[in-house]
Amino acid sequence: MTGADAHTLARRDRRFGYLLTAPGLAALMLVITFPLLFALFTSFYDYTLLNPRHDDFIGGENYLEAWEEEYLAGSFWVTLKFVLASVVIEFVIGFSVALALHAVNRFKTVYYLILLAPLLINPVVVGLLWRMLLHAELGIANYVIGLFGISRVNWLGDIGVAFWTVVLVDIWHQVSFMAILLLAGLAALPREPYEAARMDGASAFRCFLHITLPLMRPVIMVALLLRLIFAIKTFDIIFIMTKGGPGTSTDLVSYFIYRAAFFGLDIGRASAMSVGLLVIVLALTTYLFRYMRSLR
Amino acid sequence: MRRILMTIAVLALCAGAARAETIRILMETVPDTRYIQELLPQFEEQSGIDVEIEAISYIDMHSKLVPQLISPQGSYDLIVVDFYWVGEFTKAGWLMPLDDLVARDGVDVGVYVPKLMDLVGRVNGVLYMLPFYNYSMAVIYRQDLLDDPAEQAAFKEMHGMDLKVPETWDEYWKQVEFFTRDNDGDGERDFFGTVIQGQRGDCISMQWANYLYSQGGRYHDENWNPLLDSDEAIRAMQYYREAVENYSPAGSESYCFDEAFNVMAQGKAYSFVTFNILYAGFEDPESSTVAGKVGIAPNPGGGLNGGWGWAIPNSSPNKEAAWSFIKWAESPEVAKERAMLGGAPTQAPIFTDPDVVAARPYYPILGEILAGTQDFPVFTYTTEFVEEVGRELNLAATGQKPVPEAMAAAQEELRKLLVKDGKISE
Repeated sequence: MTGADAHTLARRDRRFGYLLTAPGLAALMLVITFPLLFALFTSFYDYTLLNPRHDDFIGGENYLEAWEEEYLAGSFWVTLKFVLASVVIEFVIGFSVALALHAVNRFKTVYYLILLAPLLINPVVVGLLWRMLLHAELGIANYVIGLFGISRVNWLGDIGVAFWTVVLVDIWHQVSFMAILLLAGLAALPREPYEAARMDGASAFRCFLHITLPLMRPVIMVALLLRLIFAIKTFDIIFIMTKGGPGTSTDLVSYFIYRAAFFGLDIGRASAMSVGLLVIVLALTTYLFRYMRSLR
Repeated sequence: MRRILMTIAVLALCAGAARAETIRILMETVPDTRYIQELLPQFEEQSGIDVEIEAISYIDMHSKLVPQLISPQGSYDLIVVDFYWVGEFTKAGWLMPLDDLVARDGVDVGVYVPKLMDLVGRVNGVLYMLPFYNYSMAVIYRQDLLDDPAEQAAFKEMHGMDLKVPETWDEYWKQVEFFTRDNDGDGERDFFGTVIQGQRGDCISMQWANYLYSQGGRYHDENWNPLLDSDEAIRAMQYYREAVENYSPAGSESYCFDEAFNVMAQGKAYSFVTFNILYAGFEDPESSTVAGKVGIAPNPGGGLNGGWGWAIPNSSPNKEAAWSFIKWAESPEVAKERAMLGGAPTQAPIFTDPDVVAARPYYPILGEILAGTQDFPVFTYTTEFVEEVGRELNLAATGQKPVPEAMAAAQEELRKLLVKDGKISE
């Protein structure tokens, strides 16, 4: 084969590659880039559902209005707390479960299936289900803890409790995602370093600290980032379970924006808030990504 | 491969041509929709029009409707409109006026209860909807407890008045307090005078309206000046807060009507201020342990008026077929059949129709309830108002905000929205 032949071959390969990826890229453009730009564009217009046209350019007024929203700052704060609480707890539980499962040799499939079950349930159903179980007067949860002499908990009506109830339900629903991802990472780790460490008489804990953790870092990074982004978008369980209440204690930003768009009919203002949220999420993920890479 | 594709294409074409006219309707999963579905074969046989009813839950309806209404050609031929949305939908010009069709076909719209015609029928003199069913709010209570001689004697001794269906708010509140009890003596209340549906948003907004009317309060005066910081409104909220604290089960701050319904249906409460359409559920032994023991009466001082109307969107692909469906569903015969099944009537003669009353003896009371109702403010931003005021009411109900402060905030929210809508000036 001559060099020129190889050249054309490579070019043909590349062209074939473009051809294969083109539909996917086009679809991505259509469903991600376009809506993103559309939202950005819309955020500078007085675009409402009553007058869905870009005919009234108002500059940064939507952003100003969002800034002046009395309850928006509180909503961001609740979201931050929610994201931190759910991601951290899910990581701790998820990693423990993954380590435990990694050490198990028998009935692995059974455990996998049990773990996956909540993930397969639609979030709306999860919300409805838990609302029923947590009914303060008639629910099973209070009945069961009553058997142990614990007094009734006002799961969704108490200002202090409702936030943690929502966090718990989110953990119940999403923790297996974390566990499965981390478990896959554990399964792919090489055996040799552990064997060497064993020979040197390292304890299980030291093995974990000095081998497992460093080797798992890329997987942990991906798992945390994914969950973080998902957690910020949490909407369904709030919408179904609390409507942001009691008071404002579970009013996540996503539901706040939803209300501006579909109850307030103000797509322009909702877009401005979404852009703001996007900027925050992007900054946060970039920072985290850099930070984790720097640890390597 | 190509042959298969061709076959599919040809088949699809044939299917399209062979199929009769089809109309699509978006409806809510409620009993009144079910009654329509039960009677549907009648219409399909008579008209040759196929009907596809897409029944979904309330929370999804608005966000599903709006995109279809905005587009020049939507996917729904016919829709049902909650009174919340009337201001918004008509202001946006999404609904088609029905006056010409009514005049052309000689449909008698004089049969509708005027209160409902004003709510989900005419807007500024133009007929956009025909009232489909009403969900006016009322007090559902335990008749068996009122009839119990021991309770009667105890109540008389305590308050010096007879124990009977309450006619004034004071009388009702005394009963609420009287029936709230700790029956098993464990120090925790286990029977409740009333059940609050206090979840933030629409649930609390709807129920609290009845408390407002009970105190003679209103949302606004005849010139749309908001009145939510009035003494009446503050008193109404104080009663509501008192109910959450003392007379309603734990978790009331997070209940919507379904959770609250279950408390009463499980025999754990004396009364529930709620939608009249839930009454049929209490009377059904499948969903309630108190069937045969409940009664329904007007909320003292007036309850909240509520209803749905049939409307043809301007984006409807087949307006004529949609109209023939409305004519069928609202014909005196079908309207009566729906009522016999348990539907909530909108046409005046049905409330007192002898056959209907024989099957459902409480229907004349439903007529009385409807006649005494008050309207919620219907304007372009009603949906947003429900959310904004619902937040303040819930903040007050959970004790996070003092009542007068919350009502002042609610007043300000209403004022801002009315200004935005041009109802009042800044």
